[in-house]
Amino acid sequence: MGVKRRKNDDSDVEESETASSKRKRTVATEKKDQLRPSMIKNKEKRSEVHTRLKHQKKLDKRAKAKARDAAVKKALELGEELPEKKVPRTIENTREFDETVCKPDDEELFAGNDADEFSSILHQQQTPKILITTCRFHSSRGPAFISELLSVIPNAHYYKRGTYDLKKIVEYAKNKDFTSVIVVHTNRREPDALLIIGVPNGPTAHFKLSKLVLRKDIKNHGTPTSHKPELVLNNFTTRLGSRIGRLIQSLFPQDPEFKGRRVVTFHNQRDFVFFRHHRYIFEKKEVKRAESKGKKDKGDKSDNVPEQKVIARLQVGLGSFLFSFYLPPPFKSSIDVDHCITYGYVPHYFPCLSNKWYSMWSVVQSILDNRNWPFRLLTSVILIRGYRGEIV
Amino acid sequence: MPRTTTLECSGCPPLRALTFDSIGLIKVLEVPDKQRGVPQVVERWGDPESSKCVMAVSMIDRNSQPLLAVARKNNEIEVLSPVNGDIQTTISDASGLDVSSEENNIVGLHLFEKQNTELDSRYCTLLTCTTKGNASIRSIELADSSTESSCTDSPKTWNVCSGGNILCCKVDRHENFALFGGKGVELNIWDINNLTKIWNSKPPPKDNLGIFTPTWFTSAAFLMKDDHRKFVAGTNSHQVRLYDISAQRRPVLSFDFRETPIKALAEDIDGHSVYVGNGSGDMASFDIRTGKMLGGFSGKCSGSIKSIVRHPELPIIASCGLDCYLRLWDTKTRQLLSAVFLKQHVMHVLFDSKFDIKGVDSSLPSKGKTQTEILSEEVEELPLKRKKSSRNKEHTEDGSERKKKSKHSKERKKSEGRDGGEKIGSRDERRKSKLKKKDSRSIPEL
Repeated sequence: MGVKRRKNDDSDVEESETASSKRKRTVATEKKDQLRPSMIKNKEKRSEVHTRLKHQKKLDKRAKAKARDAAVKKALELGEELPEKKVPRTIENTREFDETVCKPDDEELFAGNDADEFSSILHQQQTPKILITTCRFHSSRGPAFISELLSVIPNAHYYKRGTYDLKKIVEYAKNKDFTSVIVVHTNRREPDALLIIGVPNGPTAHFKLSKLVLRKDIKNHGTPTSHKPELVLNNFTTRLGSRIGRLIQSLFPQDPEFKGRRVVTFHNQRDFVFFRHHRYIFEKKEVKRAESKGKKDKGDKSDNVPEQKVIARLQVGLGSFLFSFYLPPPFKSSIDVDHCITYGYVPHYFPCLSNKWYSMWSVVQSILDNRNWPFRLLTSVILIRGYRGEIV
Repeated sequence: MPRTTTLECSGCPPLRALTFDSIGLIKVLEVPDKQRGVPQVVERWGDPESSKCVMAVSMIDRNSQPLLAVARKNNEIEVLSPVNGDIQTTISDASGLDVSSEENNIVGLHLFEKQNTELDSRYCTLLTCTTKGNASIRSIELADSSTESSCTDSPKTWNVCSGGNILCCKVDRHENFALFGGKGVELNIWDINNLTKIWNSKPPPKDNLGIFTPTWFTSAAFLMKDDHRKFVAGTNSHQVRLYDISAQRRPVLSFDFRETPIKALAEDIDGHSVYVGNGSGDMASFDIRTGKMLGGFSGKCSGSIKSIVRHPELPIIASCGLDCYLRLWDTKTRQLLSAVFLKQHVMHVLFDSKFDIKGVDSSLPSKGKTQTEILSEEVEELPLKRKKSSRNKEHTEDGSERKKKSKHSKERKKSEGRDGGEKIGSRDERRKSKLKKKDSRSIPEL
């Protein structure tokens, strides 16, 4: 090993001498590339080659970064245009342009919305009344989930399923002036699907349910009050999305009690809908203001309000993805998320479940930065078009 | 996961299509220029209103004075010009029928082409049929002002069924027979001229488990243009059935298509292939002689298909439905030619086959110019195609095209090799007809 290391050292010395030698080295590595370490049968030799390659890669990377920084610096000094910043390819920015995304100034969209089944509820001509029932057999987590649903959705009534046909149930709901029927399907003692039926002639939507976390499973959870919640619908941007959003919206009363500080969030991301239920609390906690912040806030009305620390005590069993958060205007200072109930639809391929703090924080920060409250009340439901920064 | 690759569409030849929304809008789509392109919404007629949801449409597709009838959810029938969307008459159906509740919507509508020519051109004859089975034939005077409308004679009304709901209503090519069917209503055929039921279908026997599937026809189509005896029907129990009046009352042939109700059926002009669309957005074409599937139309169709229409000349079909898209497909390759997002649930689509490539609106003053242009183009193109097209010249000279076309389709059946030549021939003919039409259409505009 010793001999080998010495060899390594020698080569390193050579490499670091001049740029020309560097070029030589890259040529050499190209040659070496053809001889992959995996082709070597001797383990010691193989690992040696491997480490050398790895080391070289690291050096290359560092040199690249250095060169880039130098270029930027030079450009700054000379007052030239900065070299182009490379944007990483992500799923989001390689997404195909979706022509069905609704534009906020689309008259036809509003006309279509006014004509649909939910418009009477959303215009507050009708108060939503929900019938919740189950599939034929249900036990354990099913009833628990339903009791949670009853606490989340105001004016929801649970009816035992019995042996009734779903058609009979819908007929019954129609006669009793219900506006929607929710059926919770349970499989293996675990709720796995939601069926939301608009009554009398509304659409029916079937949602798969996964990664359900009940309130009692969350550490330090609070207890919800019986106030009417505010509703946050994120990212229901496409034509179909807006329809789904309106379907969900029609489950909740359109006059939230801001006093209760309850928020129910439906966040759509890549066709998965995440559900969260929070109460926010405003705690005043003096914090030394950062200078940059102070400058930013100078023009604002809330200048005399001292900057306050945001404590996001999110005790979520699962990740909370990119929350967009709404603060009612009278308070507009800080958020403390007291508790939340999570019924999430978390797909398995999201690896970064532990990032819950980060995403929450970034959103809270961005809200605090935008002190001018660009949210518009749409019949008390705030549509915040999530992470693209457009707010409608 | 979001889609990260775009679906390539090859675009379509010049055509004009009309789509009808669930909020009562009529949109006109055109592919303007000669090279293949994507259809674009060029005009929008009507105001958005949910009570104006289009239930049924019918069009007389001819050169002179084409007409379009639209039945709305509020039981109004509008007769308009498919060229510029001027409403010629509006009839509210409450006068003609005893019941006009919410559930008694018009489901079938047919504008008669034949009788119109016999009468004064200012009259048109309509067949309507409601869900409850009240059918009526009436002729209407086309007034210039949209407010006034008058039925000339008391409409001939009759009841098609005693119970159940009518869901499909078709009139055969020669406009002598009408076909009705629906939920709980077996298919029945009526002679329109003397209002007698001439044939009634019989449900298929119970299956080997002794289970009887309830009657529920959702769509129907006459198979051939000159034969009213053969027709295809789609059922809610996802079956496609072929009936032959001359053979038996039970279906001659029936086969399943996927798992959701058949929602739309369309026949090809060749007389033996049908296009089937169902409630979950699947589309396929079948050879009805054997019941074999020729192939599926694969694309990103995602909503229930409401209507499928075959272009009378070009090898193109259009499908539309609840996914708010109008899609145009090639019938031969079954590839998607283009898809247009129309924002609303599209209930119906129609082709305006007499569409002028240069655009009807491209003004009268420059008419002479366009004519010469067309002529010159003809001259340019002819040397390439003369060989093939000359064979069919004799057929295509005359004006009445439709009957010729059925001949064409027969010929097409016989020989595949001559196919291309015929198409070109018919295209030439169309160009001539366009010249004719230009003159004829210009008159009402003036």
